Amino acid sequence: MRILLQPELVEITEVRQETRDTFTMRFRFPSPSLAAAFGFQPGQFNMLTVFGVGEAPISLSSCPRQQEYFEHTIRTVGNVTRAISRLQPGGRLGLRGPYGRGWPMEEIKGHDILVVAGGIGLAPLRGAIGCILAEPENYGRLEILYGARSPEDQIFTYEYAGWRAHPRVALRLSVDRAPGIHPGAGEDAAARTGAAAAGTDPPDAGRRFDRVGPVTTLFPDVELEPANTAVLMCGPEVMMRFAVAQLLERGFRAEQIYVSLERRMECGLGKCGHCLIGPVYVCKDGPVFSYAEIRDLPEEVF
Amino acid sequence: MAFPMAAPAALAAARLARAALADLWQALAASHRMAAPVACDGVFRFQETADLAAVRLDYNTTILPAKKFFYPPVETIFRFHRHRGALAPDEEACEARRPLALFGLHGCDVRALELLDQVYTGEFSDPAYARARAETFIVALSCLEPGPSCFCTSFRSGPFPESGFDLLLTDLGGHYLVEAGSARGAGLLQQLGAEPADSEDQLLKTHRLREAVARFRRHIPTEGLPRLLNQAFQHPVWQALKDQCLSCGTCTVVCPTCYCFNVWDKVNLDLETGERKMAWDSCQLLDFGQVALGQNFRRDRAARIKQRIYHKLNYFREQYGKFGCVGCGRCVEACVKHIDPVTIVAALKGV
Ligand SMILES: Cc1cc2nc3c(=O)[nH]c(=O)nc-3n(C[C@H](O)[C@H](O)[C@H](O)COP(=O)(O)OP(=O)(O)OC[C@H]3O[C@@H](n4cnc5c(N)ncnc54)[C@H](O)[C@@H]3O)c2cc1C
Ligand code: SF4
Ligand code: SF4
Ligand code: FES
Repeated sequence: MRILLQPELVEITEVRQETRDTFTMRFRFPSPSLAAAFGFQPGQFNMLTVFGVGEAPISLSSCPRQQEYFEHTIRTVGNVTRAISRLQPGGRLGLRGPYGRGWPMEEIKGHDILVVAGGIGLAPLRGAIGCILAEPENYGRLEILYGARSPEDQIFTYEYAGWRAHPRVALRLSVDRAPGIHPGAGEDAAARTGAAAAGTDPPDAGRRFDRVGPVTTLFPDVELEPANTAVLMCGPEVMMRFAVAQLLERGFRAEQIYVSLERRMECGLGKCGHCLIGPVYVCKDGPVFSYAEIRDLPEEVF
Repeated sequence: MAFPMAAPAALAAARLARAALADLWQALAASHRMAAPVACDGVFRFQETADLAAVRLDYNTTILPAKKFFYPPVETIFRFHRHRGALAPDEEACEARRPLALFGLHGCDVRALELLDQVYTGEFSDPAYARARAETFIVALSCLEPGPSCFCTSFRSGPFPESGFDLLLTDLGGHYLVEAGSARGAGLLQQLGAEPADSEDQLLKTHRLREAVARFRRHIPTEGLPRLLNQAFQHPVWQALKDQCLSCGTCTVVCPTCYCFNVWDKVNLDLETGERKMAWDSCQLLDFGQVALGQNFRRDRAARIKQRIYHKLNYFREQYGKFGCVGCGRCVEACVKHIDPVTIVAALKGV
């Protein structure tokens, strides 16, 4: 196993603080040959190493069309992520990958796309959005639903204006809570105050929201019809459970809904057994699955 | 990839006088490190030994299976420097070692290695494992006397192995029947100049096999087993087991087909250098499915017990085409609570 688990060194070229606890790091390879060998699909992940602390699976958050660099967006939750958060541009990380099966970018061509993301779950979807917007002629309309805990917890806010600028893109934002607004408060009020809140927060024009509540509160606003729409979803498992259930109710089929799963991963290669759900290795058979593929697994996913 | 390569049918079977077993041993020892079952503190274990006299071909199952030779319980993946990253593997580690010969493996353990091959080679093949397996010479041994917990006949992994060996020894009383399972096995037989076996030897072997099979008292009926298990995920048996199991993980440590491992960094006292390690892990342990922020995908002990039994009897087959249990009985012998796949399946069947 040893050779399969050897990381390469990559250099950090830029760090952007996204929120209080989340940051995006840009990387480049120390040699052009390594860079050339590294191609990836949106939705795939790398195993990132801080030597002496450990390894963690982290999704690629940039668009693979961007070949000079790649990015990871990381939420600080524990040992490895905290150690990564302390690194500065010029610092180096160990990396192996890319691993796993990403979003089905080919299969969904010709369809309208509904992106449903919660929290850090938008990270693996940013690359997919980038790919869609880079060749809009291959896809239909794109609706992005993104739920964050609060306006301050939204990531990639600097992208929102660009996404919205596309004529066939709708971006809808929800927050679990916002200062002075209670879930269930009048919707218009929420929207107004949301915009106002954004207004009082000038450095970041992106921080606004349309609804207060879980991301599913945005579903009534969705214009896409189930018939020709593919859903790409990533977020906390409770969120995905409710979202999938509601989409099925709305007439989406399990085959149209793609979800990205999180499990404990020690290898990323289908060897260490930690990510198993029944016979499925989340690391190499996923992490992206159509809901139809995981719905009937003996160990219930959601 | 199949280990070792299948032999052309013409390749031989020979008779080996009991005294000539030493010749076979010597011929192998000339170019191999020899590992075989030896007695140790009243139990048997596979270990390297130069001495055929210490080898106990009358052994029943060893405590640990032969996977430890290809996939050690703890291993250093690489050494690192905190800032310079992974360092090239030590010269010492790369030093060419003589290949291994495993002498006297029972059918269950031979099959188990074939199953591990499915995991470690195939997609993302591990070259070190593949090399070690390919260069290891396997002398298998037909098992005449099942141990009290054995049920290998259920999966046809024993008592007499059918594949996965270079040579197969069967004790026919006065002499051994030695059958080649690979070209290099046949080559070795040729080299020994042993007398070819005849149809009488084969008849005697068949007879011995029948006798051995008749001694088995324990079985898992495999017909309809996948369906039975698929319908039994919520069976009360699992709740009952939950109250017995101690979640100690011994069953997976001794299992010849368990392959899960954990990875962690060990930092030296200089706080600059260290090693990344891997070690056998167990799905029976609470933190196996744990991720950040305390979330745990198998917090319920019943779910962990089910993971082992279902992986052995259902999932492995879906993943790799064969049952993941070889019926060696080690997990039964090792469990202080006598949790036993045979009785679990019987309970699920309602017998
Ligand atoms: C496919 C995939 C993609 C991901 N993408 C992203 C992403 O883009 N951005 C992001 O921020 N996060 C992502 N994550 C989540 C991220 O991997 C975890 O947040 C990260 O592993 C946390 O590591 P940590 O060391 O900081 O946390 P810690 O809490 O210190 O450790 C968590 C990890 O340590 C191990 N562990 C935990 N408890 C124990 C224990 N008791 N004993 C032994 N080991 C233990 C486990 O491996 C666990 O996963 C992704 C996860 C997966 C599976
Ligand atoms: S589950 Fe038990 S009987 Fe089956 S192979 Fe593993 S240790 Fe042997
Ligand atoms: S998941 Fe459990 S039963 Fe399956 S191989 Fe790993 S430790 Fe063994
Ligand atoms: S992460 Fe090791 S098997 Fe999937």
